Amino acid sequence: MFPIELSEWAALAPVYILVLSAMVLFVFDSINPRTTNRAFLAGTTTAGSLAALAVAVWFLLAGVGTPQADGGFGAISLFDGQLVVDQLALFFIVVVTVVTSLVSIASYDYMKGHTYQAEYYTLTLLAATGMATMAASNSLVTIFIALELASLPSYALVSILKDNRGSIEGGLKYFLIGALSSAIFVYGISLVYGATGFMQLDAIAENLDADYGPLLGLGILMLIGGFAFKTASVPFHFWAPEAYEGAPAPIAAFLSSASKAAGFVIAFRVFTTAFPLEPTASVIGVDWTVAFIILAIVTMTIGNFAAATQTNVKRMLAYSSVGHAGYALIGLAGLGAGANDVVMGAALMHLFVYGFMNTGAFLFVGLAEHWGVGRTFEDYNGLSAKAPIACVAMTVFMFSLAGIPPFGGFFSKYFLFTASIDAGLLFVAAALVINSALSLYYYSRLVKALWIEEPVLERESLSQPVGLYAAIVFAAVMTVVVLPGFGPVADAAVDAAAAVVA
Amino acid sequence: MEEFFTYAPAIALLPLAAFVVALVFGDAMPKKGAIAGIFATAGSLGLSLLMLAAVASGEVHHETYYEWAVGDTAGHTAAEGIAFTFGILIDPLSALMLVIVSLIALLVHVFSLGYMNAEGEKGLPRYYAELGLFTFSMLAFVFADNLLMAFMFFELVGLCSYLLIGFWFRTKSAPSAAKKAFLVTRFGDYFFLVGVVAIGATFGTLAFAGDGSFVAEAEAALDGGETLFGFDAETWITITGLLVLGGVIGKSAQFPLHTWLPDAMEGPTTVSALIHAATMVAAGVYLVARMFGYYALSPSALAIIAFVGGFTALFAATMAVVKDDIKQVLAYSTISQYGYMMLGLGVGGYVAGVFHLMNHAFFKALLFLGAGAVIILMHHEQDMWKMGGLKNKAPVTYYTFLAGALALAGIIPFSGFWSKDEILYDAIILGLESNVFLAAYAMGLLAVFFTGFYTFRMVFLTFHGEPRSDAAEDPHGIGWSVKAPLVVLGVLSLVAGVANLAPVGKLLDLDIMFLEGWLDGEYGGLEELTYGFYGDMLPYETALIGGSEETTLLVAAALSLGLAFSGAGLAWKLYNVPEPTEHTQRLGGARDVLRSNYYQDEVQVWLAEGVTLPVARAADRFDQTVIDGVVNGVSSVSLFGSSWLKRIQTGLVTNYAALLVAGFIGLLLVLGVYGGWFL
Amino acid sequence: MRFEPPNVTEMNEWIAVGMLAFVGLLIPLGMMAVSYLIRPSVPETSKRATYESGEVPTGGTRIRFNIQYYMVALLFLIFDIETVLLFPWAVVYLDAVESDAVSLAEILGPMLIFVAILLVGLAWAWRSGAVQWARSPFQVEAEADRP
Repeated sequence: MFPIELSEWAALAPVYILVLSAMVLFVFDSINPRTTNRAFLAGTTTAGSLAALAVAVWFLLAGVGTPQADGGFGAISLFDGQLVVDQLALFFIVVVTVVTSLVSIASYDYMKGHTYQAEYYTLTLLAATGMATMAASNSLVTIFIALELASLPSYALVSILKDNRGSIEGGLKYFLIGALSSAIFVYGISLVYGATGFMQLDAIAENLDADYGPLLGLGILMLIGGFAFKTASVPFHFWAPEAYEGAPAPIAAFLSSASKAAGFVIAFRVFTTAFPLEPTASVIGVDWTVAFIILAIVTMTIGNFAAATQTNVKRMLAYSSVGHAGYALIGLAGLGAGANDVVMGAALMHLFVYGFMNTGAFLFVGLAEHWGVGRTFEDYNGLSAKAPIACVAMTVFMFSLAGIPPFGGFFSKYFLFTASIDAGLLFVAAALVINSALSLYYYSRLVKALWIEEPVLERESLSQPVGLYAAIVFAAVMTVVVLPGFGPVADAAVDAAAAVVA
Repeated sequence: MEEFFTYAPAIALLPLAAFVVALVFGDAMPKKGAIAGIFATAGSLGLSLLMLAAVASGEVHHETYYEWAVGDTAGHTAAEGIAFTFGILIDPLSALMLVIVSLIALLVHVFSLGYMNAEGEKGLPRYYAELGLFTFSMLAFVFADNLLMAFMFFELVGLCSYLLIGFWFRTKSAPSAAKKAFLVTRFGDYFFLVGVVAIGATFGTLAFAGDGSFVAEAEAALDGGETLFGFDAETWITITGLLVLGGVIGKSAQFPLHTWLPDAMEGPTTVSALIHAATMVAAGVYLVARMFGYYALSPSALAIIAFVGGFTALFAATMAVVKDDIKQVLAYSTISQYGYMMLGLGVGGYVAGVFHLMNHAFFKALLFLGAGAVIILMHHEQDMWKMGGLKNKAPVTYYTFLAGALALAGIIPFSGFWSKDEILYDAIILGLESNVFLAAYAMGLLAVFFTGFYTFRMVFLTFHGEPRSDAAEDPHGIGWSVKAPLVVLGVLSLVAGVANLAPVGKLLDLDIMFLEGWLDGEYGGLEELTYGFYGDMLPYETALIGGSEETTLLVAAALSLGLAFSGAGLAWKLYNVPEPTEHTQRLGGARDVLRSNYYQDEVQVWLAEGVTLPVARAADRFDQTVIDGVVNGVSSVSLFGSSWLKRIQTGLVTNYAALLVAGFIGLLLVLGVYGGWFL
Repeated sequence: MRFEPPNVTEMNEWIAVGMLAFVGLLIPLGMMAVSYLIRPSVPETSKRATYESGEVPTGGTRIRFNIQYYMVALLFLIFDIETVLLFPWAVVYLDAVESDAVSLAEILGPMLIFVAILLVGLAWAWRSGAVQWARSPFQVEAEADRP
């Protein structure tokens, strides 16, 4: 249980494993171009992400990131503080690798018969690498590089169904909005650099200079823009519905869960490490939490309201994913009112649970696409008669997303609710409740379609692809069992949050 | 003997097991679940007798078995909070009642073999399952150690009687009667529930006994002169006591909530026997006895109980006079007799009330089972005008029924005389001091005459004279399972009075008042639940005729006995003839009023349709328009907003970029103005 | 009372920036407005045609280009940037080898890994046909995706 005795650089082992798996796939595809050996490709991806997951969990349990006072190893700083491996980083590496492995298992069936098999898995792994690196980044430069490493494969992945117009269109829109957002983000980085003279987050915090208040404020706002793009928050969310709708369903799951979580982790880290609330507020004249309060309310409202009347299931999930970004933003909006670790811990919990339930929901859509039943709510009518297990799982996802007990989504949302009340954000708490109520409307619409409505057409019996089913059922089981197992998750989340907000 | 108490829960659980067995395996069993029920109730009876013996040896069982919720209270004992528990309290009163209930239940089960099985009824497993559940609920209600548990099983008793009254649910009248019973008693139970909540909130406990019982808390509050919820302690105790009394009035069929009981005759006669003698109706009076200490703190509540009881006794007795259906007569007699018990309790005659409850259980079960036997004899004919002359053809039925009738009419030396006399004695010694009690006593006394009359009218019409129909000429045979319970109960009706021969004891100065001693804790019991303790709490002043107890006793007994004899004599004169005719015509207009039960049903229907229905309609309209309107408005606004928001997503990436930048600039402006960046 | 000139240093420096932006917008807009006002307008079909250096245009503007140009350009770009990273490393390499503070593996290792990753990418791109100028019908067939 002493991973650090290896060497300090070993702290990034999860990232190395992901890179190595991608390299293996590259070599394999080079030797055997256009391979359709799905078992090897999906297997390597899954094995790689699971290995990374295992190492990350091991590190977390062994005490990497736990303060040395508590008997841990403390946060491990690498490359002169450009990267840092602490509890927050490991927590999100866990989230990312879990989603990656679910997605790669499900893709085994989903990608059957498509070209670019090897490219698909390689890009997935590279994107996961970028996200994992985002989690560990501690400097604006590494953040930007990691963010681009995560984004560029994502653009390609969204449009990987080259003969599908929706896929290409979604990918292109994603890319264009992404380019715009990256530009804004880089501009923000340059302004922050200009105002403080540093890129490294701790150094920025020590060099907040009152002379450049507005400049720094504009830079911070532009950074927020970059994060908002990555987390699909309003007004940088416009790519999300089209990209998720056009992308292969596992990729939509990947983007809306892992990529979003990675966007949140850098936002958490930058704003807690580089811009401590009070010093920053005295420099720029305003609490940056105000921006997040506005963003959180607007994002959850627009996401949920737009989702309410969608007819396309995937698009509904895309908007709901925007809404959930709004919920998670409470983690930043509620800082500065005392119980910082609880507020942010609640957001971390929500992202963790969301990683399961949202991935599972998109994978169910992938299953439906695999069956070829169609895309709208009506097309899903009466699916439960043919595929009860998958529909039970989907029902679990829907109710968990809506935040109904006894599923995991209820707890995380409940913690967010109490945390926002503790933080005195009554408006945010009210918006959370109203939006959750509204979200129940459209989630239960889908459940109703699955279980109650009569199918429009008679259906043949549906196939049961092993990989997709396994991933969906596992996600459903996890969504349910995080309830009894919530203690450790909650502790880990609060510890991780406490380590950065302290 | 204490180790017997380990088995206390089994008293109730055995019938519950019978319920499950009959429900699940009933169809496959030889007697369709009857055997399971008989064994279970026999077991309960045996255990109850053990409990009786254990209590007699001086032990008391009071234990909490399960605590299912703990909370805070707003009352004056808020510091400790309130715990909701299931527990068992076995003291002299509940031990006695357990024996009565399980005995009657056992006899009813046995009788059912002849009444239901032999007659080839359908749905017997359901019947026996419901009987089992009924017995279970009542037994658990009897040994409940707190008011909330009592309330829960009180409700379960109500549910079971609903199920059993509606046993023949394919007929038109039975489901309607069942619904009526359910709704009318529910109306009373509503007040009971409010009372339970009020008591719990006020005193922070619902326990009947123990240091922290609500009775003790109430007494402390009374002594301390506390103000509870804005009232002085006595007023508040009266209010809560009367709320609980609402449930009692509903269940024990006291005026004005008695209307369900005559209709409840739609159920099988065995069920009527169980309901009237030992379970449903008895539950109400038992509850008053159980928490008598609480009522003893409130003279107003007791006066109301006494007056309602006296009034109901007379009121129901007059209605029984004109009924033609044998079961109807018995039903009104039940209402009347429970009126006596309420009167007895109301005048502080705790022993007298419980004594009458016990005696009534025996003779009313006997009369109903006897009526059931008559109905078997008569091929399911219930109109007394079509009977007659059964005396010689069914001697066992006749003599046992006669024993029951003598007890009911209060003829010496049958059990009913002793208890009724004691109630009236307790009433008259108060009545000499206070007009309210005098009125209650007068009504009770007058009811004795009517009781004697209708009882013997029933006996003569049924058994004497010439047969007035083919069925009466050639009665159906009856088996041992019918006769055995009749004989047992007949003997009990004759001798049960021995338990408390108060007049004899007082006149001859003998110590033969066993029941009084029993309830006074002479053999063992909880000090705060004894007759003597209650007596000390009561604020009553009594007076005696001529200042002598003997004189008063003799006068009271002579009055009631004389009236009973004259009533019976009138019946003998009018109806003990070979060909009796209807004399009700002579009553003129009064006959219609009596036949229509004083138009009570009409009044209640008018209340429901004329008052409640418009209010309900108005509430419904408010719900439909205002509440639903707001809800629907919110949803349509949301959906409209949703479709509007959807339109932002035009699909053109240039629009997205523009909106993105616009949103960003908007945020910049907000923060910039807020943070003063542009200055 | 004495007249006081406005204190220039008290003015917000952002005013200068704002003025610059304003003037920067004003000049082109003004030029466009002036030219719009004074130019003659003689619409004619040939004026609307695509300008192809005097040639008569053939076909529309929406034609497909061969993507190979971009492939080669991308590969070039990657290796160009690699050189940018290698150059400073090469400059400090000898000094680092001479110093005792860092071992040879620490100096050489990361860059070798970096180059190795690039080489894997190059090999893959090569094998995937990124540098292949034309394709046989067989290869084209294999790329057809599921509809």
